[in-house]
Amino acid sequence: MASTVIGAGIIIEGEITTDEDVVVVGVVRGKVSAKEAVTIQQGATVEADVTGGSLTVAGTLTGNITSTDRVDLQAGARVVGNVKAARVTIADGAQFKGNVDMDL
Amino acid sequence: MAASVTVIGRTTRVRGRLSGDGDIQVEGQVIGEIVTTGNVTIDAHGIVGANVRGRRLIVRGAVQGDLLGDEAVVLENGARVVGDVRAPRVAIAHGALMRGEVQTGDDAPAAPLVRAQSATRAAVAPAARATPAPATKAIAPPPVKVAPATSTNVTARPALSTAGGSSASPRRPPPPVVPVLKKTKGQILKKKER
Repeated sequence: MASTVIGAGIIIEGEITTDEDVVVVGVVRGKVSAKEAVTIQQGATVEADVTGGSLTVAGTLTGNITSTDRVDLQAGARVVGNVKAARVTIADGAQFKGNVDMDL
Repeated sequence: MAASVTVIGRTTRVRGRLSGDGDIQVEGQVIGEIVTTGNVTIDAHGIVGANVRGRRLIVRGAVQGDLLGDEAVVLENGARVVGDVRAPRVAIAHGALMRGEVQTGDDAPAAPLVRAQSATRAAVAPAARATPAPATKAIAPPPVKVAPATSTNVTARPALSTAGGSSASPRRPPPPVVPVLKKTKGQILKKKER
């Protein structure tokens, strides 16, 4: 479904802006701004601030997350950064260091 | 399977450098260099604003920058390319538009590869364009006042030298903007005639 895929073995150094879903399997350094779902798959490395709709992380993410919907850190995820979203879940087995802001 | 293919979707805009070893399909906009050992496809809606290097490049969209194919470059119907094209095999289909130098043959892509890899990590197109500047600068210092020597370096790639002149080397005058000169000449002549 995803319209934009950063495949394994690909490194993007820069800024990604999109209105559609993004799936990262490779490496992104810079910034990611999406309006729809962002998925950071296992094995992916993202060193960037990420803005998006619902955000699912199973890989490594260093940077702040801002979501208009929800953030799910799955088992195996490794996240360093602050998370700001309406809903946040952190699965057992996810590594996380940072602040959570669920604006109550 | 699908994971090894990178897709830049239609509404996606990447400002920066894409590199790696997978296939890349551009349906959106990429303002920055693309360097991969895989194939690159630039769709009808795709726009790339910098150099592209890959094994096999298939272009149906717009590219402003050089295309370097390790195997082949195919400009299909609808392609719009402003820049040089180099590959062992180059195909330009009916309906493809391009402006630039074409070089076929096996030895073609070797030199630009070094340039692309030694490139400073350029996040933006203009900077990426300026990548050959360090090379010419490195050559330039010994013959300080020999203008022709440096100009021979530049002659092959007018677009690149434009960026190089603006970014770094103060010694070299900016390249002549020929179309503008022609226009003004023509206008002046017309005025004189009238």
